Amino acid sequence: MGNIFDFLLVDPMTNILLLIYDLLFHNYVLAIVALTIIIRLITLPLTLRQQVSSMKMAAMQPQIKAIQEKYKNDPQKLSEEMRKVGFNPLGGCLPLLIQFPILIGLYNAILRSMAVTPFSLLELGKHIYGFLPNLSSLLPVNSSIFGIWDLGQPDHYFVLPILVVATTYFSTKLTTPPASDEQSKQTNQMMSMMMPIMFGFFMLSAPVGLGIYWVVSNLIGIGQYYLMKPRLDIARAQHAVATVAGGTPGTLAPIAPPVSKPKAKVPPPRSKVKSGATGRMTRPGAAKPGSGKQ
Amino acid sequence: MNSKYVRISLALVAGTFLLTACGGGEPEPTAFPGLIVDGNAAYLASNLLVYKFDAQNGTENWQFPASQDNANPRGPFSGAPLKVGNLIIVGGSTNSTGGADPHLYALNSDTGQEVWRFGPGGPAKEFMAGAVTDGQRIYAPNGDGSLYAIDATQAVSGQPKLLWQFNTGNRLWSLPRVAGNAVYQGSFDHKLYAIDAATGKELWQFDGATAPIAVQPALSDGVLYFGAFDSYFYAVNASDGKLRWKTPVDGWVWCNATVDNGVVYFGDVHGKVYALDAATGQRKWTYVAHDTIRAQPIINQGTLFFVSEDTNAYALNLKTIKPDAAGVVDYNATQWRNDTLGRRLVSRPVITDGTILIPLFDGNIKVWALDASNGSRKYQFPPPPPPTATP
Repeated sequence: MGNIFDFLLVDPMTNILLLIYDLLFHNYVLAIVALTIIIRLITLPLTLRQQVSSMKMAAMQPQIKAIQEKYKNDPQKLSEEMRKVGFNPLGGCLPLLIQFPILIGLYNAILRSMAVTPFSLLELGKHIYGFLPNLSSLLPVNSSIFGIWDLGQPDHYFVLPILVVATTYFSTKLTTPPASDEQSKQTNQMMSMMMPIMFGFFMLSAPVGLGIYWVVSNLIGIGQYYLMKPRLDIARAQHAVATVAGGTPGTLAPIAPPVSKPKAKVPPPRSKVKSGATGRMTRPGAAKPGSGKQ
Repeated sequence: MNSKYVRISLALVAGTFLLTACGGGEPEPTAFPGLIVDGNAAYLASNLLVYKFDAQNGTENWQFPASQDNANPRGPFSGAPLKVGNLIIVGGSTNSTGGADPHLYALNSDTGQEVWRFGPGGPAKEFMAGAVTDGQRIYAPNGDGSLYAIDATQAVSGQPKLLWQFNTGNRLWSLPRVAGNAVYQGSFDHKLYAIDAATGKELWQFDGATAPIAVQPALSDGVLYFGAFDSYFYAVNASDGKLRWKTPVDGWVWCNATVDNGVVYFGDVHGKVYALDAATGQRKWTYVAHDTIRAQPIINQGTLFFVSEDTNAYALNLKTIKPDAAGVVDYNATQWRNDTLGRRLVSRPVITDGTILIPLFDGNIKVWALDASNGSRKYQFPPPPPPTATP
């Protein structure tokens, strides 16, 4: 299994990382940043889908709870009703599960290419593509940043751990869907505190190169959130609209660019929808240039 | 996604880190163990400890440090220990995050107690390969790119004194070869240096390789033999550093070569063992193991012994070896092959009195002793715990 994971993900990423390092003036920080951006862009559709789905599931929680309460003694009926209202927890989970190995692969590629220990360097030697012989001449990668940090060593000045804590906090805070009840709210709050602390603690002993990946990845995640926020708001509003209209909440509307006026069948949203953001949503990539505020 | 799934995802992430980073017991080694035998005594540097044990039966004499002291952390250790007088000299190595113990330790060979430690200070890093000596000086390559020469006489008397320091452009993770008045050192800056042993001045440098050199060059009849990470093997004049020949191989070479009867033997990271004509570099034959050959092959009584990261130990009879038309020796044409050791083998074995001692990269067993004639197990170090008596 490990070999397949290496073959499909870690090996290509490791070699691409070294190629980028060669192209970007032998600057390993730039190479990490560039590859992280590329990977995040490739996984952007999945991220968008997952976040939209998360928002919808969160918004449906009161309705779900009511159904669960109503049919708590009839599991079959409960299942039917949940399906009717469009409850699909995997809709949010699946894209996340697909992204997860990719990000783990990127993490491993960065760790492997830094090769700070003899054993990791030996492993790197086995996974560099033979048809790209110049890659070996790039080694060892230039691991110094301004002569202060060594990418392969832990940050003794604690700058990276602090940045990791801060960016993880904001990233978690922004991307966690709003809770619909007190218990979920408390759980979310706890997670938004624990996650940054956990990663910050890990960073105390992890190489600086990994910290850079983490910070960049978090910043991109935060940026993506703000870029996608209008669409997420639309998704949330659409859900509210569909619920009011007696439709099936939780299902995606057809693909279409946003229009300036609401369609006749769909009543205008009553809350949270700003002017210009109407009851239609677009899927990732469907927005056309000049399509207003998308 | 509701909070339940957020929690599950986070638990997965946390679990991953816990499993990979917070396992109990001895941490996974990150550098390669090293072993020497001196008379009946074997000295082993392996991960967090240095051991002395009886080379005949594996009985432990001492280990260093005798106990872990958080206020005075030492190690991990790697590379073959060096015996100078009554001292055992070992190098501090790197841990899993690349942090290093930047010291060279001298231990009393009888007791295992620390006699002195040498830390050059400044940007000094790990002494990954340990040290070598010519009797006058102790030469210790460091991860900071410098080769340090210490007065051997004063070192034995308890006062390590730095004689000179030679700087290269990148890490030194291999031992130098010392011959006559010259020290030959390969560097991660892609160069091989010849240094005046007495003064530390550069005699010449060979810059024909295009990737790091991480091996100790072999020297035979005035020619230095070494491979590099550029997947080439080189032969260079020891007198002036001029290239005699170079030949392409299939992968990185991180394996010291052995020269015997005009043939050079070494392996690469893809598991291939090569026999090259020392005069021309022509390939005589290859043998393909299943994983990296990192440890230097050794020759004893006409048999080539080598170990692989595929966990196998191999013995090839050089007198009867018959490569096919493509120059490849059949995988099963070994004199013997032991596939029961169960751990990655990346360090040079040592042969003593018909026994081949093989350091293991990881696991609780540090060394397996095999009968060199047939590969059967003789003993393990540390010895297995005695069976507990049942009431």
